[in-house]
Amino acid sequence: MLLSYLKLAMKVFLRRRVFTAISLFGITFTLLVLVVATSVLDHATAPVAPETRQERTLCVYSARMTGDDNTWQSEAGYGFFDRYMRGLPGVERMSIFSEATPVASYRNGGRIDSVLKRADGEYWKILDFSFLEGGPFTVDDVANARFVAVINETTRNRFFGGEPAVGKVIEADGQRFQVVGVVPDVPLLRTIPFADIWVPITTAKSDGYKREVMGGFLGIFLVGSPADFPALREELQARLKAVELPDPKMWKQIEAHPYTAIERVAAIFLESGPGRALTGRGEHQLAVFCMLVAGLVLLFMLLPTLNLVNLNVSRILERASEIGVRKAFGASSYMLVGQFVVENVVLTLAGGLVALFLSPMVLQALTATQLVPYAHFTLNHRVFAYGLGFAVVFGVLSGVYPAWRMSRLHPVEALNGGAR
Amino acid sequence: MTRHLLKLIWNRKRSNLLLMSEIFFSFLVLLFVVGLGLYYVDNYRQPLGYSYADVWRITIDPNLGGPNPSSAEAVETGRQLLMAAKDLPQVETAAIAFTAPFGNGSWSTDYEADGRHFEYELNRVTDDFAKVMGLEVVRGRWFDRQDDAAAVEPVVVNERLSRIAFGALDPIGRLLPQDKERDGKERPPKQVIGVIRDFRQHGEFDAPGSFLFSRTNLATTTDGPRLLLVKVRPGTTAAFQETLTRRFEGVAKDWSFKVQSLTEMRDTNHRERLAPVLAVSLVAGFLLLMVALGLTGVLWQNVTQRTREIGLRRAKGATARNIYGQIVGEILMMTTLSLVLAVVLVLQLPFLGLLSHVAPRVLVASLFVSIAALYGLAAICGMHPARLATRVQPAEALHYE
Repeated sequence: MLLSYLKLAMKVFLRRRVFTAISLFGITFTLLVLVVATSVLDHATAPVAPETRQERTLCVYSARMTGDDNTWQSEAGYGFFDRYMRGLPGVERMSIFSEATPVASYRNGGRIDSVLKRADGEYWKILDFSFLEGGPFTVDDVANARFVAVINETTRNRFFGGEPAVGKVIEADGQRFQVVGVVPDVPLLRTIPFADIWVPITTAKSDGYKREVMGGFLGIFLVGSPADFPALREELQARLKAVELPDPKMWKQIEAHPYTAIERVAAIFLESGPGRALTGRGEHQLAVFCMLVAGLVLLFMLLPTLNLVNLNVSRILERASEIGVRKAFGASSYMLVGQFVVENVVLTLAGGLVALFLSPMVLQALTATQLVPYAHFTLNHRVFAYGLGFAVVFGVLSGVYPAWRMSRLHPVEALNGGAR
Repeated sequence: MTRHLLKLIWNRKRSNLLLMSEIFFSFLVLLFVVGLGLYYVDNYRQPLGYSYADVWRITIDPNLGGPNPSSAEAVETGRQLLMAAKDLPQVETAAIAFTAPFGNGSWSTDYEADGRHFEYELNRVTDDFAKVMGLEVVRGRWFDRQDDAAAVEPVVVNERLSRIAFGALDPIGRLLPQDKERDGKERPPKQVIGVIRDFRQHGEFDAPGSFLFSRTNLATTTDGPRLLLVKVRPGTTAAFQETLTRRFEGVAKDWSFKVQSLTEMRDTNHRERLAPVLAVSLVAGFLLLMVALGLTGVLWQNVTQRTREIGLRRAKGATARNIYGQIVGEILMMTTLSLVLAVVLVLQLPFLGLLSHVAPRVLVASLFVSIAALYGLAAICGMHPARLATRVQPAEALHYE
């Protein structure tokens, strides 16, 4: 039966090609926008190298100290992690590293801008970088404050014109480091692995950072399985009470929450966007975020849906005699609704395929603008699946009302050539 | 004629309602994009109040340890950095500031006092700041040595803040209304000693706002430096940035410095501001194109389905012109009905206080432009179907099955 529906649908689409083309244009455009938006989100959050252990990783991105009159929100300090957060339950590895800091290097009269991270040795064991040259700096390098650096491919090109870099010296932030490894570029949107240059945390210009509770550092925790998250979160909250705050008269308490990558996206979106008041714990925020995103997608689909509904409704009468015959021979309204919805879904799926075919070009153009440094947006099987999902939802959404209107045509009137 | 058109629309109310809701939402999309565009154009056309050419910003980063930023040691280092900068021949003058143009940082306050709402951004700067940024003082004077002995904290405000606080009165020497602290204590008063044209710290695309400068007295301050602004002689190249950085690193060994030219920062600021607007406009443009094509298609279908009605009218003596007018008139009438609803809804927004940053002239202009554009769009969509309708032959139409 489905096959005959499909055959019929083809015939109808080909009968008035202009209208099919107009419908297809709207469908393709709508799905193209959704597919591109999905790939950008996927680009920022999917568990791909170097974040292959992402689903087992939690990160404390920021902390907030509050007092009677004051609030201080920033990254937590090194002392916060080092003194209070070691040995949390279920944690296999823990790493502390600085926020990404812009630094300038001067070379042959020109300036090279890079982003520098100071990290510990564990950083390289939690993240799964594939080295183009050399390897990471080690726990030992960090303990002995050796001036060594891992750089990314772009930095290698900028400093050494793409020549092998291991063993050579680069200057950054007024310090000199010997390159020990080169890694591929990581997109800026990935807060944890992103940097141009990584150097041992102990090479900082003074060791005052070690005592600070607030400012400048992130901590990541790798656990055995996501089932360990609740125990970790609970113990972390309990330990916050023991944290010694810098000025007890000014500051009364400190808050911090470990987030997964997608919870982090949710938190950024909610805290800077429409739901600024909706702060809270990651899991709760994630649910709110998902609903908001679904709402936004539906809002965006509203106009294209109305457009397609209008087009479909205006074409009802074209089908009048067919509907009349089918009804006269005993087809129920439900069967007709089913048939017309299937037809519409076929059309949106066709539009979806065109959109998926076009999206690599749009993504390439977006990559070429370099608005997001090191972004390389591509279409992958996850995004492809999402795209087809959007097409089906869109097809059902825009097909139901016209199908219902069509199925309600009176058989006699319909056979007669239709009425209003 | 109007009543006749309304009746025709009413007769096909179900499908017309759908059509009108499509027009309604298209108008909202159009208004949003036009409003956003005009808002940016309007902001861009207002004076910036300073000159960013040949000004470099040096960010001082004490983040990774180093002395406490408010220690006496840090304050002293700040003084030395400022002197070191001024000593260099390429440097015209230099100043320490709390925030700088085109950066992401800002310092603002908002409170109720004297029954009015005060909301302004602040900056705390040394005396040479006005020379570095080329500020235009329109009344009174900028900070100088004679403020060392001031009993009341001297401040310089922009014209907008002066107008909000003192109306048409001469602001010089007056005290700026202050709120009370949470525990009921009076805040220390601020005395206006000068008025500048403007200082739009976040760049040309930001909505103009109120601004207040207070003075850093280098001899008595307890705050360490956060950033320095340096005015270099015209023609100084980026190579000098290295010299400057090395010089600073010599003065403060465990601090990090980052030099950026304000021109560079302005470019970044513009890119970050305009990219989302361009993306939204592009998507909205395609949405409207889709609507236009869809609308044309629907009207075209309607015309073919109404052949008998049109034929009958022709047979009863209506001219081709009448028919054309009827089809275009119908779509324009539907547009009008959707617009009335949309405009009534949109006009609620300012009353809800949701568009307080948008000047009324921008809102009014956006409404007019969007309304005109939507009528234009609707008319264009109606033209082709209407032309088809005029070709209907009465004899043929009346036996159309």
